[in-house]
Amino acid sequence: MSDRVDLQEFVGAFVAEADELVGSANSLLLEIETANAAGASRPRAVRDLFRALHTLKGLAGMIGVEPIVEIAHVLESLVRTADRAGGSLRRAAVDVCLQGVAAIGERVRAVAEHRGPAAVPPALLEAIAAALAGDERGPSPPAPIVAAWDAKLGAGERQQLGAALQDGGHAWTVTFAPGEELAARGITIATVRAALGALGDILKVLPRATPGPPAGLAFDILLVSDAAAAVIADAAATSLERVVELRLPGVVAGPAPAAASAEPLLADIPELEDDAPVTLGRSLVRVELARLDDLQEQLSLLIVSRFRLDRELAAHAAAGHDVRKLREIAALQGRQLRDLRRAILRARMVRVAEVLEPLPLLVRSLARAAQKEVRLELDARDAELDKAVADRLLPALVHLVRNAVDHAIELPEERVARGKSRTGTVRVRCAALGGTHVELAVEDDGRGIDRAAIARRAGHAIGDDRDLLAALVQPGFSTRDIATRTSGRGLGMDIVKRIATEILGGELALVTAPGVGTVFTLRVPLTISVIEVFAFECGAQAFVVPVAAVDEIIELPADLATEPPRRRGERVPVRMLDCRGHAVPLLSLGTVLAIDPGDGARKAIVTRRAGEPVAFAVDRMLGRHEVVVRPIDDPLVRVPGISGATDLGTGRPTLVLDLGALDLSGRERPN
Amino acid sequence: MGTTGTPGTLHVTFRVGSADYAIPAALVLHLESFEVATHVPGAPVYVAGLVQVRGRVVPVVDLRKRFGLPEVPHALDHRVIVVQIGTRVAGLLVDSAREVVSLDKATFEKPPELIEAQASGFVTAVARGPKRLLLIVDVATVIGEELAHGK
Repeated sequence: MSDRVDLQEFVGAFVAEADELVGSANSLLLEIETANAAGASRPRAVRDLFRALHTLKGLAGMIGVEPIVEIAHVLESLVRTADRAGGSLRRAAVDVCLQGVAAIGERVRAVAEHRGPAAVPPALLEAIAAALAGDERGPSPPAPIVAAWDAKLGAGERQQLGAALQDGGHAWTVTFAPGEELAARGITIATVRAALGALGDILKVLPRATPGPPAGLAFDILLVSDAAAAVIADAAATSLERVVELRLPGVVAGPAPAAASAEPLLADIPELEDDAPVTLGRSLVRVELARLDDLQEQLSLLIVSRFRLDRELAAHAAAGHDVRKLREIAALQGRQLRDLRRAILRARMVRVAEVLEPLPLLVRSLARAAQKEVRLELDARDAELDKAVADRLLPALVHLVRNAVDHAIELPEERVARGKSRTGTVRVRCAALGGTHVELAVEDDGRGIDRAAIARRAGHAIGDDRDLLAALVQPGFSTRDIATRTSGRGLGMDIVKRIATEILGGELALVTAPGVGTVFTLRVPLTISVIEVFAFECGAQAFVVPVAAVDEIIELPADLATEPPRRRGERVPVRMLDCRGHAVPLLSLGTVLAIDPGDGARKAIVTRRAGEPVAFAVDRMLGRHEVVVRPIDDPLVRVPGISGATDLGTGRPTLVLDLGALDLSGRERPN
Repeated sequence: MGTTGTPGTLHVTFRVGSADYAIPAALVLHLESFEVATHVPGAPVYVAGLVQVRGRVVPVVDLRKRFGLPEVPHALDHRVIVVQIGTRVAGLLVDSAREVVSLDKATFEKPPELIEAQASGFVTAVARGPKRLLLIVDVATVIGEELAHGK
């Protein structure tokens, strides 16, 4: 049933889009609330909130999630009323909206998990209705069923349109309905805009929802152009009946274009500025992280085969062949591979500002629960992070922010008594560090960490902040009893430390001053590569190999491998393994690496070299892990077959082997 | 910090075997105690291995091996001096790191020819330290700058 499959795919897109809208609705509500507290209003945010709710309603309608449509609809009415009343949303209304948005969020999750979304609790609808009644200043004018351009045009645009028509020009309403088919042909609102822009002047573009089935989105474009209707229709990838000429007189207040009346507007859709991003028109693609991981994996295979090519080239050159042309191409390919790698890394980057989006809501609810007044300041500028880093980093940030609100920031009365402002501030800053790292700081103006309390707890003296941090991040350093009262730090700093250093390969630092506040700083790399590996022991040393490079792992009975004749003695001895009737060469990894005679080998890892299976004997397997690999590229340790280092939790590097690239000649490397 | 009052350049002094050495403090990121390094099969013999320093994986050059001295058992005094040259970060394993001194470059002298020949470029000058003579080490040569440029 292809319909079903399509719908499932659409659900994924819906969830992603809806999640984002719920997130931005929350941010906007918090912004409005903050402004309210300062006695200001945020008409712009109210307008944006309306758009977010409206889009949510439309999306939910398309896949038929009625409870979301219902909630979004009543919230939308509430916000529209506020918008009309000058763009201020009172505190009670903000609270109700947050509840409503949370209810939408829950139902989006339900859709994501393929559960049926719960029906709307009547209490919520009543609360929204009550807020609406409280906010309504006089009956709102009935929403016009048919919108004429007139109501949508600014004074300047109206003048421009009037002037164009008076000069004998022609004005058109062009309707463009984007769709998957068109998108596949590369036609989007952006390309249509460009094509129409070449024919004349675009005065306005209005998106609107079109009722189903299937529900969708359309753009009404007001174009002043002397081109023929057919030319315009062609440029807009639309049919001729969707290109309607506007005529004088009365155009400015005249009847709506036929196309628009054939598809009545759902409501008065808010206008978009010409440069505002349009949800379906912007050139964004959502890609599962796993697909990007796959892309990166493929790239590393490409890089490995490219190393082989280099080796072959060197061999040919050594044999006296002319390889200059080939070298040139290989060098070019090397540069292209580097560019490709950079491009893939860029594709994995997300804006830190987006990563921090959950924090305002967290702080709000924590502050309420603790009866504190806390202002959260986020400053991420344009910093970006690899999605894999961002996903791992967020729990650490949440932890630090939670600790700051719960423990560091004092109660309002206490703050006043200490001569501080009633409202505490938690600031999360992010700055790029020289293209390879970012620094995130979680800063509070709370009570600071009590050294003496931590020293008592740790049972030893605490010197500087470094000592203090070392004590705090001790696993099991439970400060629960003192945390809430004196130390200002709660549980789980060991987790924050682990995320920063072991998982992400970064650093964690601390600066604290009694009564003034505390700053935790995380310095993490912009990007990490996470792979699945098998860990094993060879001699006394642990190593890992990527799971992707392993064909199989076999037991090594003592009598399984036979020793074929050797005529040249300088190579690492190769034995022959009977692998279900196939002869597979078996080498002792300990001997290849010159670290162990290999007598203790009990297992063999079967991999491929140049497409042929090869087995490496190792002592014992240690398990399967997902690890962060750090490249080791210093010339001191650049060895074929050793591709990186990782930390298996021992605090010391473990080498990542590329068995396919190991040097099997058995010669000592010249020093 | 044991700095003298004379104008000069700050240097970190350390001991390997029976000699005292110094390198410009500007090259030094930090000092770390040393327990064990991860052996890297196939790396030059003077590479003690890899250590993890503040989340970074850093190769360590064993200066005893680099300077042709016999191995000694691991001692608590052993230090890794983490240095940065250009974009490269490496550790120098030394018997002990002593102090930071200010050395006046005007007092640097070219090492006697025989010493220079034996030290094969590792030592660029001899300086008068607060107590004894200090050999000024060329960090770039010690961490094998030629490796970085050769293939």
